[in-house]
Amino acid sequence: MRNDIYLLGLNHRTAGVEIREKFAIAVCGPSDSPLFPLAPPVREIMVLSTCNRVEILAVGQGPGIPAAILEQWAASRNQDMAELEPYVYVHQGMDAVRHLFSVASSLDSMVVGEPQILGQIKQAYVQAVNQGTTKVILNRLLHKAFSVAKRVRTETDIGSNAVSISYAAVELAKRIFGDMSQNTAMLVGAGEMAELAALHLLRAGIKKIFVANRTFERAEELAKQFKGHPLAFDELFGKLEEVDIIISSTGAPHAIIRAKDIKPLIKKRKNRPMFFIDIAVPRDIDPDVNNLDNVYLYDIDDLKEVVDENLAQRQEEAARAAGIVDAESASFETWLKSLYLHPTIVDLLKQGEEVAAREVAKTLKRLAPYLAPESNGEVQRSLEILAYSLVRKLYHDPISFLKRRAEEEESVQRFIDIARRMFNLDHEDAPDDAHLDRKRNPADDPPGQTCPPQER
Amino acid sequence: MVLSDLARILVVSLYALGTVLYFVGMFRRKEKLKSAAGLCALAGFSLHTVSIGIALAQFSFATLPKSFYIKLLSWSLLLVFFIVWWRLKLGFLALIASPLALLLYLASLSLPSEKAVMPESLSGLFFGLHIAALFASFALLAMAFGGGLVFIHLERKIKTKEKLLGFRKDLPSLATFDKINHWAAIIGFPLFTLGLVSGFGWAHSAWGKVLTWDPKEVVSLLIWTVFAFFFHQRLAMGWRGRKPALLAMWIFVFAVISLVGVNYFLPTHHSLKP
Repeated sequence: MRNDIYLLGLNHRTAGVEIREKFAIAVCGPSDSPLFPLAPPVREIMVLSTCNRVEILAVGQGPGIPAAILEQWAASRNQDMAELEPYVYVHQGMDAVRHLFSVASSLDSMVVGEPQILGQIKQAYVQAVNQGTTKVILNRLLHKAFSVAKRVRTETDIGSNAVSISYAAVELAKRIFGDMSQNTAMLVGAGEMAELAALHLLRAGIKKIFVANRTFERAEELAKQFKGHPLAFDELFGKLEEVDIIISSTGAPHAIIRAKDIKPLIKKRKNRPMFFIDIAVPRDIDPDVNNLDNVYLYDIDDLKEVVDENLAQRQEEAARAAGIVDAESASFETWLKSLYLHPTIVDLLKQGEEVAAREVAKTLKRLAPYLAPESNGEVQRSLEILAYSLVRKLYHDPISFLKRRAEEEESVQRFIDIARRMFNLDHEDAPDDAHLDRKRNPADDPPGQTCPPQER
Repeated sequence: MVLSDLARILVVSLYALGTVLYFVGMFRRKEKLKSAAGLCALAGFSLHTVSIGIALAQFSFATLPKSFYIKLLSWSLLLVFFIVWWRLKLGFLALIASPLALLLYLASLSLPSEKAVMPESLSGLFFGLHIAALFASFALLAMAFGGGLVFIHLERKIKTKEKLLGFRKDLPSLATFDKINHWAAIIGFPLFTLGLVSGFGWAHSAWGKVLTWDPKEVVSLLIWTVFAFFFHQRLAMGWRGRKPALLAMWIFVFAVISLVGVNYFLPTHHSLKP
């Protein structure tokens, strides 16, 4: 019995947003019946659907699988298969494995290195597990995908630099102030980006946030959101002395904060640094402010430049990550090949014989003082016969059990996998905490946000 | 004698190994190497401490060899570095502390082991204060020099919005680098002053006059003036950031010139020459 892995999908590169919307597969609750019920020749299946991609992973035998899935997919969306087909890529075998690993490591994402995709795959996997459509191969494949993603994240810099404007601003603030637990920020004006930046600042541990706005009610509303302090717009300059980080995004037609406003503050603040983040267009803060000592000003173009550099760097890191993906795909291939009956029996007997040989050698060494030299060979032969026949007899029943299961298509893989793990034929060390999260309720995870708000 | 030679070789190799491991760990981003470097430096430092203790027990103050003082300076530098590491989490300064300590230690080995000529009426208290305060202050200046170097570079990059990619996120913030500069002012300057005052007090008791116009005394007084200016600007005028960073770096440069140039090449009663 062969295990062919197929991966069908479309993503933001192969299909426009209308097509993706048309063929997105609705995320259903774990209790719903699966969209793709298992039916021969498909033995395992998992569906991932986000706003940027649909990926259908299937294991089975026979070249007809992609076409069958495509048909089901189109039918489930009440669309014509011919319309879907040109946008879909089909990967088979190791190509499918590599593709999955790249997707999980976020190498295939619209913004390379953004981590949400991994959570989405985990969710899709939990759903498939609950629906009972994953078995030995997909279980192993997905767990491997999670560990590849983790390796890529820790061993490369792919996700380490901010690629959104508001987060880039907060990263810069960290460079200047460190942990920010003693620093105060002020939002001047409101806007989506400014609010996001404020949220990032809160998460980074800022001590206090003031919110100043032309309409005081709006300031109060925002302040509540950030546990901050609302300010009337004309109180702004009075408070500037206390504030280290200023995020400005008003709709004012010209600069509202000028270098000459800031200069007297510097002395009062005893030169404690100030960081101005101007995300308004036209700009709110006079560029001259940046020329003052210990005062830093970034406007939206500067931040965009930082983000672009970081994106370029992610591309470089992606090349390194691809190396990790290749290596891990190869190791998965080795495991997949071992799932056949014959190599497992060979491995099992080899392991037993190794143990026997080791024990015989040990015993001979211990017996050596009591043996006459001429009887040495005879004793060794008898010991070997004893040990090897023990091994063969002990392993006889497990092996014939596996052979019997091989007659039944469905279960053999599971038993081979269990046997390999039970006898540790792949020499894997399970970490002590390997199964700690087994008992966790998947419902505890936050509900999936398939399409996060796009910032850029 | 053989045992102490072995100890010396061990200290040098531990310091050298620590330095190399730290540089490699820094640029290859391997935390484990950095921890190993810290352990090497700590082991070398412990051995160094023991050897200094033995030297102090063996010789009386007046008969200590000249090389001992440089060895002590190397030791003080590491001591201050360990304190800075512990309090400010600036392990990063190992980049300056470890090579400098190694260099000083090696320099101490190349110096003659003849004893320094000491005035007769030597008061242990004055002597201890003079040496300990000045060495600790020198070490703090070295830290401020290293911190200042990175501060100025990082600050210029942030100010001019240049690429920051070469700078990693685990690098300390500008505020942390500024703090070491603050330490150099509030701890370094009083120590330097104390060192000078006790030196002059000692001169008074030994030679009967405070100022002998020895080159070392003149240079030290000049440095003290700049140091006092730095102290004043930092604490009274609230200087922060680039200006005090630069100033502290200059003071360290002067201190090195005074250490190498004056003690080695000019005729002075601080001479390290045989």
